Parts: sequence; C-alpha cells; structure tokens
Amino acid sequence: MRSVISPRVLIGAFMLVLLVAPAVLPPFYVTKLNYIGLYAMVALGLVLLTGVGGLTSFGQAAFVGVGAYATAVLTTSSALPGWLAWLGASPWLTLGAGLVITAAMAILIGSLTLKLSGHYLPLGTIAWGISLYFLFGTMQILGGHTGLGGIPAIHLFGFELRQDNEIYYLIWAFLLVGVFTVHNLLDSREGRAIRALKGGMVMAEAMGVNTARSRMVIFVIAALLACASGWLYAHMQRFVNPTPFGLHMGIEFLFMAVIGGAGYVWGALIGAGLIVVLKHWLQGLLPAIFGQSGNFEIIVFGVIMVFVLHKARNGLWPILTRLTQRVIPVRAAQRRIDAAAEPLARRELPIAGTLLLDAKNVTRKFGGLVANKDMSLQVRSGEILALIGPNGAGKSTMFNQISGVDTPTSGEVLFLGQAVAGRDSREIARMGMSRTFQHVRMLPTMSVLENVAIGAHLRGSKGVLASAWRLDRAEEARLLAEAARQIERVGLAEHMFDEAGSLALGQQRILEIARALASDPCLLLLDEPAAGLRYKEKQALAELLRKLKREGIGILLVEHDMDFVMGLVDRVVVMEFGEKIAEGLPDQVQRDPAVLEAYLGGVE
Amino acid sequence: MKLKHTLLAAIGLAFAAGVHAQITVGVTVSATGPAASLGIPERNTVDLMPKEIAGQAIRYVVLDDQSDTTHAVMNIRRFVSDDKVDVVLGSTTTPNSLAMIDVAAESKTPMISWAASSTIVEPVDDKKRWVFKTPQNDQQMATAILEHMSNNNVKTVAFIGFADAYGEGWWNQFSTLAQVRGLNVVSSQRYNRTDTSVTGQVLQMMAQRPDAVLIAGSGTPAALPQKTLKERGYNGKIYQTHGVANNDFLRVCGRDCEGTFLPAGPVLVAAQLPDDNPVKASALAYIAAYEAAHGAGSVSTFGAHAWDSGVLLQAAVPEALKVAQPGTAEFRSALRDALENVREAAGAHGIFNMSPTDHLGLDQRARVMVEIKDGGWKLVN
Amino acid sequence: MDFQIALILAQDGITNGAIYALLALALVLVFAVTRVIFIPQGEFVAYGALTLAMIENGVFPATAWLLLGAGVIVTALDAGAVVRAGGRRVMMLAGTHLLYPALLIGLLWSMPLKDLPLIGQVLVTLLVVVPMGPMMYRIVYQPIAEAPVLVLLIVSVAAHLALVGLGLVFFGAEGYRTSPFSQARFEIGPMFITGQTIWVVLSSLVLIVALAMFFGRTIYGKALRATAINRNGARLMGISPALAGKLTFFLAALIGVLSGVLISPITTIYYDSGFLIGLKGFVGAIIGGLASYPIAAAGALMVGLLEAFSSFWASAYKEVIVFTLVIPVLLWRSLTTHHMEEEE
Repeated sequence: MRSVISPRVLIGAFMLVLLVAPAVLPPFYVTKLNYIGLYAMVALGLVLLTGVGGLTSFGQAAFVGVGAYATAVLTTSSALPGWLAWLGASPWLTLGAGLVITAAMAILIGSLTLKLSGHYLPLGTIAWGISLYFLFGTMQILGGHTGLGGIPAIHLFGFELRQDNEIYYLIWAFLLVGVFTVHNLLDSREGRAIRALKGGMVMAEAMGVNTARSRMVIFVIAALLACASGWLYAHMQRFVNPTPFGLHMGIEFLFMAVIGGAGYVWGALIGAGLIVVLKHWLQGLLPAIFGQSGNFEIIVFGVIMVFVLHKARNGLWPILTRLTQRVIPVRAAQRRIDAAAEPLARRELPIAGTLLLDAKNVTRKFGGLVANKDMSLQVRSGEILALIGPNGAGKSTMFNQISGVDTPTSGEVLFLGQAVAGRDSREIARMGMSRTFQHVRMLPTMSVLENVAIGAHLRGSKGVLASAWRLDRAEEARLLAEAARQIERVGLAEHMFDEAGSLALGQQRILEIARALASDPCLLLLDEPAAGLRYKEKQALAELLRKLKREGIGILLVEHDMDFVMGLVDRVVVMEFGEKIAEGLPDQVQRDPAVLEAYLGGVE
Repeated sequence: MKLKHTLLAAIGLAFAAGVHAQITVGVTVSATGPAASLGIPERNTVDLMPKEIAGQAIRYVVLDDQSDTTHAVMNIRRFVSDDKVDVVLGSTTTPNSLAMIDVAAESKTPMISWAASSTIVEPVDDKKRWVFKTPQNDQQMATAILEHMSNNNVKTVAFIGFADAYGEGWWNQFSTLAQVRGLNVVSSQRYNRTDTSVTGQVLQMMAQRPDAVLIAGSGTPAALPQKTLKERGYNGKIYQTHGVANNDFLRVCGRDCEGTFLPAGPVLVAAQLPDDNPVKASALAYIAAYEAAHGAGSVSTFGAHAWDSGVLLQAAVPEALKVAQPGTAEFRSALRDALENVREAAGAHGIFNMSPTDHLGLDQRARVMVEIKDGGWKLVN
Repeated sequence: MDFQIALILAQDGITNGAIYALLALALVLVFAVTRVIFIPQGEFVAYGALTLAMIENGVFPATAWLLLGAGVIVTALDAGAVVRAGGRRVMMLAGTHLLYPALLIGLLWSMPLKDLPLIGQVLVTLLVVVPMGPMMYRIVYQPIAEAPVLVLLIVSVAAHLALVGLGLVFFGAEGYRTSPFSQARFEIGPMFITGQTIWVVLSSLVLIVALAMFFGRTIYGKALRATAINRNGARLMGISPALAGKLTFFLAALIGVLSGVLISPITTIYYDSGFLIGLKGFVGAIIGGLASYPIAAAGALMVGLLEAFSSFWASAYKEVIVFTLVIPVLLWRSLTTHHMEEEE
C-alpha cells in the first residue's frame, strides 16, 4: 500500500515555494515570475472561456489594455473633469474603475459577438482585438502611440510596492485568488452549466440552463481577469503604450492556455510559465547558434507550438499530472455525498389521471414531405404511453413537436393546458417536462454524479458569485444528494464517481433517465430508453418506470422493442407513414391487422 | 567590524584579480518587429564599438526587445539585476526608451537612448537626469524642414505619417512648429507600415492643393506615399524625414524620389562635407568601420546613433574611472556625471556638448539638408 | 469628395479587392476541404512577391533552401509512415520530395536569374514557392487532420508565426517592389488606369473562372468538391483525404503566390505584409460564411472598397473601421445560418 498525499499538501507546498521564492531567487527570476503571474491571470480567463466553455478568443490582450489604460489615464492625467478626478487618488480606486469599464465593454462586445457560432467567434475576436488596439493608438488622451508614463506605484498598508520583489506578492496573491475563484466556480451548479457549453448546449438547455447567460458570464470573468492583469502590469511597468496589447499578445495568451492545458485551471500557470521561460531561454540560446541576424525566437516558438499540438493536444498539464502521479501519488479529490442534506423541495404532482400532454391534430410538413399528419395523442399522470412504429414512421418528428424542439405546421401541443410551441426548452423544462435523447447527450469527461446534477439545475438558485466564493455549499450538498439519490434509484450507484464516458451505451441511457428525474418532472419523455440494454437491465428499467408511474408521473416512451413495451405500458399509439394507425391497450393493438401489416410488411 | 571589512575587501580583490576588470554595457535594441529596419543597423554597429576604454575591457550584453515596451523593460530589468551593468544603451524606439526611464532612474544606472523624441531627455528632472540620448531631436529635424520650406516659398503643407509613435512624434513637433512659423498645415493623414495602398490619403491631401507634402515614415515604407503622389501627378515639393536615410529606400523609391528633400545627420553625406567641418572625420570613420564589416553602401544613419553612444562612453568612462571601479554604484553615478560633462566629443552625427540641462548636446552642426539626386544623397548648401 | 475622386477610390478599392477576393477564394476552398482556417495564406503572398524580387535583383532566392528543408522533413515523415506500414512503393514518392528541391536548387545556381524575361522569373518563383503548400499540409496539418477546428486554427497561427520569422531571415526588414508587367497607362476621361491595375483585375477574373472550371469540369476538382461536402463519404468513394488536402494546399499556395506576384509592382511588400493582406481576404471569406465562393469574392471586393474610402475620410481610423464593420456582418451571418451548436 503506497502512501497517498492529499492535494492540499501539494498546494500548500507550492504556496510555500512561492512565498520564499523572492528571498532566494536572483532578482531577475523574480521579474520573470512577475510576468508569469500577470500572463497566467489572462490565460486563466482563457481556460475558463476556451478550454472549458469552448469559446475561443484572440482578443484578450485588448482587455488587458483596457485595464492598463484605465488606471494609467486616471492616475496620471491632470486634465480630468472634476467628477472623475477623485478616482486618480489611489490605484485601488482605478482598479475598481477599470473593472467596471471592462465589464461594461465585455457585456457590449459579448452581446454583439457571443451570438456568433462556431469559428465565427474567434474571427470576431480577432476583429475587435485589432480595432481596440488601433483605438488605443489613435486616442490622444491615451497618450497615442507614444504612450503614457509616470504611473505611480501601488500602495498597500502604507507600503509602496516599487521593487519587483514587492509587487511580486501582490501579483501572485491576485493570481491565486483568481485560480481559486475559477476553481470553485467550476465545481458548482453554475460551473456544471458552464462546462456543458462545450458540446452539450442542446442538453443543457433542455435541463433548463440558460446557455447564453453562461457564455456571457465566462466572457465577462475572463475579461475581468485580463483587466486586473492589465492594472498590475501598468503599475509594475509604470508606462503603457499600445504595443503590448496588440493581436500578437492575444495570440500568445491563447497559446499559453493551450500549451498548458486549456481544460485545466492550473494549465494556465504551466502555460504562462513555460512560454516565458522558453522565450527567455531561446533569447539567450538562439543568437549563440545562429548569430544575431533574425527573429529565430519566433520561428522556434512557432515550430514548438505545432509540435506540441501534434503530440499533446490537451496541453501539458494532464501529462504532467500523470508523471507526477508516478512519483508522488496524489489522492484524487473524492466527492462526499452528504446523505443528511435536507432534500430539495419537490413539485406537487397532479393527481393521477390528470391530463398532462395533449397533442391535437399535429401536422408537420417539410417542403412537400408530410412527416406527421393529423397526429393526436394524450398522456395523463400516472400512466405510461408508448409511441411505436417502424423505422421512418415519423416518431422522432412527433417527439420533437411534443418536446418543443420543433413547431407543428398545423395543430397544437398542450402541456398542462399551455401551448408548447413558441416556448424555449428552458421554459418547458421549468414547467415539468423532462426528456432523454435518442442519441445520448452527456458530458463524457464529467462524472456520472455531475452529469445527473445538471438535471437538477432548475432546483437550485445560487449564482456565480456565491459559487465562486463558496457561499453555495449547503445548496450544493442538497443538489448532489438529490443527484446521488436518482443515481441509486436507477441502479448506477457503483458508477457514481466514474467518468460518464466510460459507461456502456445502455448505462448511458439510464444515466439520462436519472438526469431527467433529477429535474423532478411530472412528465417524462423517453426516446428509446431500452436500446442497448441487456435483459436484466431492461427488467430493472421496467420496474423503475412502473414505480414512477405509481408515484404519479406521466411517461411517454418512443420505443422499438415490442417485448419491452407490451409488458409495461398502459396504452400504445402506433404510427406509420406519419399517421396514427392504431391506438389502444397493448393487447388490442397487437392483434390489430393494420399494425401487423405495418410491422410484418403486409400479409399477401 | 573592521575585520569584516578587511575580509570583504580581500575577497573583492581576489575576485578583481581573478575576473578581468571590465565594464558591462547592456544594449536593448529593436532588431525585430516594426522598428527592425532601424534596429538592425544599430545592433550591427554594437559589434564595431570600442572593446576597451582606458584599459578596461568592455563587455556588451545585447538583447532584442521586438519593438515592444514590455520586452524593453524586461531587458533593462535583467541588465540591472542580473548583469549588473554599468550603463544601458538603447532602445531604438521612443515608447521603449520612455518605458525604460523608471528602471534606469530607480537603479541609478545611466542610460543612453537611441530614439528621437525630445521627451526622453527633456525636461531633465529627478528621473531623466540618468537619461541621455544621441539622435537629434525631432524638433531639430522638423525645424530644418520648416526653414527649408520657408526659404522656398512653401505656404501650405500636407502631412502624412506612420500610424505609430514615429509618425505621431513627427506630427506633434511639426504641427506645433509650423504654427509658430506661420505655415498652414492643410491636411494630416496616417497610414500603416505594411499598407498596400495610400491612394485615399493622397487624394485627400491633393484635394487641398498643398505647396509641399511631408512624409514621416522610416525605411522603405516611406516610399509608398511618395510613389502614389507621383503617380497621381503631384508637382509640389516632397519632404521626407531622416528615417528614410538608407539605401533600401532609394532602391524601392527609384526615380519617383528625385528632388526629394530631407534633413539628416551629416553622416549621410559625410564625403561631401567641406573638409573643415568638424564632423567629417568622425563620420567617415564610422562609415569606414561599418562598410568594412557589412559591405559598401550598407551604412545607415541609425547605426551611427549607436556609434555615437560609443563616442560618449569613450569620453566619459576615463573620467568615471578616476572616481570608482566598474560594477559599483559609485561608478555608475560617476559615469552619469561624466556623461553630463562631455564636451566637444565628435560623433558621426555631430559634436556633443552635454550640460545639466541638455542631455543630448547636439547643435545645428548635427543636421544638414539633403536632396535625393541621381539616385544618391546630395548635400544642400 | 467629387465624382472623380470617388472613381479613383473605387478603382483603388477594386484593385486591392481583387487580390482580397483571390485570397478569400483560397481560404474558402481550404476551409471547405480540410476545415483549416488558413492564416498562413498571407505568407504565400509575401513569399511569392519577395522571392520574385530576389530573383529580379539577381540574388539566389533563400526560399529555395526552405523548400529543400521542407522536402527533407516530408521525406522523413513519409519514410516513417512507410516503415510502420511495411510498404515499399511510397519510398519512391518520398524521393521526389528530395529530388525536386535539389534539382531546382541546381537549376537556380546555373541560371542567370537576373537576365531571365519577367515571365521566366515568375515561373521560377512559382516553381520555388508553390510546392511548399502541399508540403506544409503534409508536415503541419496531415498528422492532425481529424482535430477540432480550434486546434487546426491554433496550429495555423503557430505556422504563421514561424513563417513570418523565416521571412525576416530570408528577406530582411526592408521592403521590395518588382517591375510592372506593363508600363502602359490609359486615360479615360478624368482618370487614368495603369496597365498593372488591369493585369491585377483581369488575372483575378481569369483565375476565378479557371477555378470554377477546375471544380466543374475536372475529376480532381469534383473530388475536392465531394470532400468538401462530405469528408467521410468521399473517403468511402476512394478519395484520400490526404491527397485532397495536398491538392487544396497546392491551389491555395498557387493563388497566394500569384497574388503576391501581381501586387508587388503596385505596392511595396515586406516580410510581414502577408498577415494584414490575408486577414482582409479573410474578412471577405467570412462574409461568404467560409462556404460560398461568389459571396466571399463580393465580400472581399467590399472590404477593398471600404478600405479605400475610409482611408480617404479618416485615415487614422481605417483599420478600426474595416475590422469593426466585420462584427455586424459576422453577426448577421451567424443569425441567418441556422444550426444549433454542437460542432467539434
């Protein structure tokens, strides 16, 4: 049995090293560490934005510039109007001013560009990155291209942070606060919503997550981190001009995040450190090899980046942790479920037999093709309805009309007496309809527990700030306890802490049911839940669905597996060629000649 | 206590005997990035600068700052903390030099800038007392152009400059001085170094029908507005700045640059200077040294700014050595004082006479008007 | 502004716009076939122009050494792949990557480059620079052809940086102009048009038509189109993605080098000129949604015009105007193209 170290010990050791570093290192290394800290802060924002949220930005350097210029102008200009001039009294006031300006700009730019999908977004960030850079240079109040000098040093508790080894502590304190803020945020209700942005937006919306808001949140946080870095930069450099805030720095920040490991909070630090050290080293080494005539640094730098992306697309942090793990085994952070946490409030379920879902004469045409024609069906609380039919019968289209993903050409779908059409997935989820997907949609690198907890998103309310500063723990415990309860209920308890991607396909479908249940629905829409399940698992699933039915939930199943359906459901609706060909009790339907013909290909 | 001092002194002596006594010079230069065409000849010149002054070996630590202030500051911090330099030379651009002042002043290290703007050394205050520079101020150059304009009946002038610190510095000086002299600046345009077309700017200028156009750019990119002006049939006078004074500019601009006027350091036309000009010999010495290393016709006036900082050191170091040993704060301080007292030092660009209020020390002898004629530089008398 | 000035500005905008349009087409092509956002496209413009300038000045083009270097790396990579796969035949193909640059360098040494007619010099330039396109695909992109768009984009940026750095080594910091294809000047009413401008616009048109023919009529063109529409489907039909990638990069490099050769007589080109030129072609490509060729070309033309007119009205804010106006266009594109996320 090898001894295992808690991650806290490692972090403690790291802090200790940071603390004594200025005392033992040569001064120039402290200077380098300062820059590493400043850059890592920007890269940290990119980890959140790009690595976790999937939004690529080349424009972060511009936000660094906003932070730096805000404080530079306010602390040095003598031509400020009176209502602004008081801000110049202390850099701490200008930090506040810079953050406010940055947040306002980020919200403005974000509302314009975050709607851009896919590769438009990074190109959009290049565009505003360049625009802001040229604006810095053309505005005379910002010192133009020449720049602004004479920026005062920061005072802290009466100390003037003038030397490198003095401002060092402030920079690293800022960075560590940033790291822990982001770290905490990601490990929370809001964090799960953010982590779902990359590759899980449709699912997250169906679970009630406002993905547009989550995108904006991480964009603003990343901008604020960049702004704080710019503020520190200005007071360390005590001079600002546009060149450090151009597109090339924006690119470099992104490189830092990617090379360190864009998906990992500590990757930002590794990336920034590596690039600063590498550049320093190349600057000394390359002229010795090639002579003085050229920019060899950037060539080697480019080549190394290409190589790293070829060999380690996820960056160096995961590789580093794997290597460290061999030497110093670190205990994986284990979640504890607080079984004693107060259960979440539950929705009051309608009494059995209440009409939940009422689809009336739904017709959906795609051009000339009629996918659904005059379809009607109803689901009541405490019953299971199966929608079956051969391939291409239009079941999925019908499912989309019911779940609000698509809008019928004519006819309407009422849920609890209200029209589904025109509402977005979030609202429908809030009303108590929850669903699974035909093609499993989950976040493969997150644990089963966290995946299921996304389902409970709407049952929590703690926001970003509460999450970032750990004021959400009581609610978080309740959410996780609820998720754990649903996981146990569907029989995945032994996989609770495994990566969701490691589950077998059948189990993944079960996970989706647990996730849907975590939202405390009154109507459950299941799209082929039994596909890929073994016999035993099917029996267990059937048992679960029966239990849910007894509790008063209404369930709509779309299914292929006749055996599974017939033993389980109360009523069946059969579709063929977009139309309803039969409806009734399972036994009746099974004997219906039209159904037999549809399924057996016609009796000649 | 006394024992400790003796011990330290002994150790110090041991080191001094073991390590050759030497003066360390930190050089930060914009050898890459937008200012590379200025920085490269400067860096080349460092190799030609004195290897020994008054028996002390000189060690140069040369770093590239990529025309970027962050790197310039990083470099000077490294010089003062790691390399323990006695003096810092550079950087090439005005923003970089301005950004370095704080570090130089705090570490009490003299610094000799190679950038143009007068704001680097003026006014000499607590910080700038540590800062010197060798290139002529924009002001001096702008005045030369304005004088030439007035003498040639130019009443209206249009300005087009780089959208960077170089163009901005020129615009600030030129527009202010033109007002003083009663010249009417009718149009002010900007363009980027790598722009492919300046037709819009040129049309805007020509619409104002100026008697002359001043182009404030450096190196080959300054040729684009001139070629466009000629292409559009502009007949007025065209002025360039000393930023274009290299042979690449002549190559690119070709016939379109015939008849262009520019102010420049005398080094550009050293061979044409009258023999009694005090700058002639020192300028020719630089040209000979540079062309011996890099081939005939390769010399540029920018490298000469670096050379002149060597001239200043040559004059000041022997004085400073009388006060203290290199590597000490006393030496740096003495070197600063000595630099401030440099008199009649003949550089490639002019004669330096420093004073406590003038940390440039160049006078009218440091600039001449030059005309481009037959594909070469011709001194205007 | 009077009508005459507007006309001249329009002419200027169209000339630049024609180049941007060519680049936009190449970018759309590369993205459609390989999903690579080809930031180094601009470097091919600069390399083409500057290599031609070297040849004109009678200097041995340093880019030939880069070609040889790239050839060595490609050969090493291919050899590695062949050894792993246990094949033999490809060894011969790999040899060509070494043989071609070596022969070319020999040829360049023996030829009086300076005395060649202009057309010959252009041809030599094409022979030196264009093969770097497919080689670049082989070295930089092929090993990660299946990576997400973001990774390919970042790799592109890294490759761009390396190429700019190499450009400074090869060509120095100062710029070059090459001699025009034609000295003719035509006066039409109040304005005049130079022969070179006509060359630029006509060549762009010819190239665009040639590309259309290539995609419409030839088997390779059709194969590329098939790959662009459905990568996996095309692979099943026997179209190798690696071949499609190399072919695409060959075309992109060809377009880039030709653009460089066309504009270097009307403007000065520097080692780092490519980025902004490429970026503006890019803006055009984006307006076309990286998918539609005609809209991309129209968008690029629009960028050229916008640039010409904004440099007349507010030259200091030219770049701000051009790049800020991209954002509403992007917004409009992404709002009108309906697809709910989940790329990657």
